[in-house]
Amino acid sequence: MTAAMISAPIRSSALREFGSSVTTVMIKELRSRFRGRRAFIVITIYLGVLALLAYGVYAVVAPQARINAGFGPRTDGFGITIANASATIGQAIFALLSIFELILVAFMAPAFTTGAISLEREKQTLDLLVSTPLRPGGIVVGKLLSALAFLILLILAAVPLSALVLMYGGATLDDIVRQQAVLLMTAIGLGSIGLFWSAAVKRTQAATVLTYLTVLFLTLGTPMIYAFWSATNTYNAENPFGAPRPAPEQLLWANPAVAMIDVVAYTEPGSGWFTLILSGLTGSNEVCDGDVCWQTTTPNDGVPGLKLGGAGVTGGAPANGDDVGVANDLPLIDPGACPANARCAGPGLAISPIVGTLAGHFWPRYGLTMAALSVLLTVAAMRLVVPNGMRFAFRRPRPGAAAVPIEPAQPEPPAGAEQ
Amino acid sequence: MSESLVSSVPVIETRGLVKRYDGELAVAGIDLTVAAGEIYGLVGPNGAGKTTTMRILATLLAPTAGEARVCGIDVTADPIEVRRRIGYMPDFYGVYDDLRVWEYLDFFARCYSVAPARRASMIGELLAIVGLSDKRDAYVEALSRGMRQRLCLAHTLVHDPALLILDEPASGLDPRARVELREILRELRGMGKTILISSHILPELGELCTSVGIIDHGRLLRSGTIAEIERSLEATAILRIDLLSDPDAAASWLGTDARVGDVLRVDGEAVHGIRLEVPFSGSPDEQAGLLRTMVEAGHVVSGFSQATTDLEEIFLKVTGKSEEESAA
Repeated sequence: MTAAMISAPIRSSALREFGSSVTTVMIKELRSRFRGRRAFIVITIYLGVLALLAYGVYAVVAPQARINAGFGPRTDGFGITIANASATIGQAIFALLSIFELILVAFMAPAFTTGAISLEREKQTLDLLVSTPLRPGGIVVGKLLSALAFLILLILAAVPLSALVLMYGGATLDDIVRQQAVLLMTAIGLGSIGLFWSAAVKRTQAATVLTYLTVLFLTLGTPMIYAFWSATNTYNAENPFGAPRPAPEQLLWANPAVAMIDVVAYTEPGSGWFTLILSGLTGSNEVCDGDVCWQTTTPNDGVPGLKLGGAGVTGGAPANGDDVGVANDLPLIDPGACPANARCAGPGLAISPIVGTLAGHFWPRYGLTMAALSVLLTVAAMRLVVPNGMRFAFRRPRPGAAAVPIEPAQPEPPAGAEQ
Repeated sequence: MSESLVSSVPVIETRGLVKRYDGELAVAGIDLTVAAGEIYGLVGPNGAGKTTTMRILATLLAPTAGEARVCGIDVTADPIEVRRRIGYMPDFYGVYDDLRVWEYLDFFARCYSVAPARRASMIGELLAIVGLSDKRDAYVEALSRGMRQRLCLAHTLVHDPALLILDEPASGLDPRARVELREILRELRGMGKTILISSHILPELGELCTSVGIIDHGRLLRSGTIAEIERSLEATAILRIDLLSDPDAAASWLGTDARVGDVLRVDGEAVHGIRLEVPFSGSPDEQAGLLRTMVEAGHVVSGFSQATTDLEEIFLKVTGKSEEESAA
């Protein structure tokens, strides 16, 4: 039996080695990242800005909300009560905090990771790192997690501010969970985009530019493509009547802004600003008259989940058979439907008449898309860290292969005894 | 398994090692064998293929052809196992910001899965070896170049490897730091480490290495102990003859001897008189005979010695010879 075979069982399991590689890199990264006062100052500024913003929203919204509430309960076009003053304040704070936090996270997440690998290359520390038995996957994941650790700390530190909303009402604990999920997935997704470019490109500067271009594409590029596609999709052989047909909604699945707007729209009664933005973004086939919108044609053939349901809409999978009989004067209405994604005030009565079904549609898809994206990009980054031509070598040697190579393997450990 | 069998495995063994970058041959078939306990110096000009060879051994590059084994393990078949057995110090490297000296070593110890209990004591030992004990809590980026070099050397030792691969460890160091480095390497040799060290500055390797390989244009031109290489080049030993009498007469007298090559007159080198540098092909006995007949012929010789061939001259001879061969 050769020494190589003797030494083989000493290897711990692949998972354990991966795990210890991750923690090794994380410990080192966190040591330097949280050194000194920098981290504390950043957190303080971040929370200070958000708190000021929340107060500013309160100061602006509260007086108007009280005036509105003074007129007593009002209803929208479908007889649903508009939120009272307290809820209006809560919703406004929630909306602005969510959007502002998203912008901050979307700016910071890539910045934290674009240097992860390329800085090691520039400072010529990568060779030292790669020539250790650290697993390439461990290096990359450790880098990503340590960069995200600070970001996640920031996100979680702001949870109490969002929870302020619970005092006013208008947004529920579920809404805050959804908001946190979108923020977290944004951090992970955009962070891994930065990590990927950092591994793929030699210079940090180039990696930073490419990362922000990618983020820009996801946030602004995809809606523009979507809108352009939808607009040009109107007249063609398949669609001779010229009704607008939206582009594949998958285009918007990786868009953090759409996801957050979706979360915020969920809190809005009737059709608020964010609901309108969302419907404007996704539905080119709606007609709106004030707060009331309806669809002009059968929408979105073949795109399940985009079918608008509830009052004023055709299609939509009937969740129950109750016929509420709302808005019978509108054409193409299936009043009995409270689609799976809609919040309904009663059987078949969606709170948001049109896009109520859309609210809550995008954020879970965004979360899954970001998760898949970050896994893909992390694996790609991992492969880019392994020295060229050595990629195959990191597969575990098959049991049979261990016996092949050398005559007597391993020499005596020369220096070991003496040191 | 017998003890002798184990130690007979060379720590480094390459066969027909070839590395090609975009069609350019960086390493053109190197057969290198380094036994346990040797300090092997790779000498060659910049771009000779030293770094490429070392990077292949350090599992950072895959060879285009041929094979390389460290402690009998193929570097491409099981790089992780190879990495556990080597400490690698690249020719250019940086250090991390925001990390203290002990944290730096602790990080690399973790990389090699050194047991936590061992880590703390080992960091102290290593810092003592490289003379950085008082810098334990200093930031790495605040160290001088020589100190960084020694710290990097310490990092190669955290897992007590059998083989150290040191790429140009003395480049850019001032003479004092160089002496310190040499002392450390001597200590490591005492610990029984096998060391592969490269340099383009030859004298710094001469006294340190047990063996030397001269490498140029991706080929290993000579390999062996310095004495062995010297012997293989003995044909062209250079005699330094200091003359108080007429040097030109002596030169023309020497020119009649078939064993003497082109005589070179060197002014100002000798303490007294004029020095001639005389390429002479012959044994030490024949050298003594030459001196005797020269004195008998009436030349006043105040000094007669064989120029000590240092590594630099050997190197120039070897590489010069290979260029002649390739030109012919």
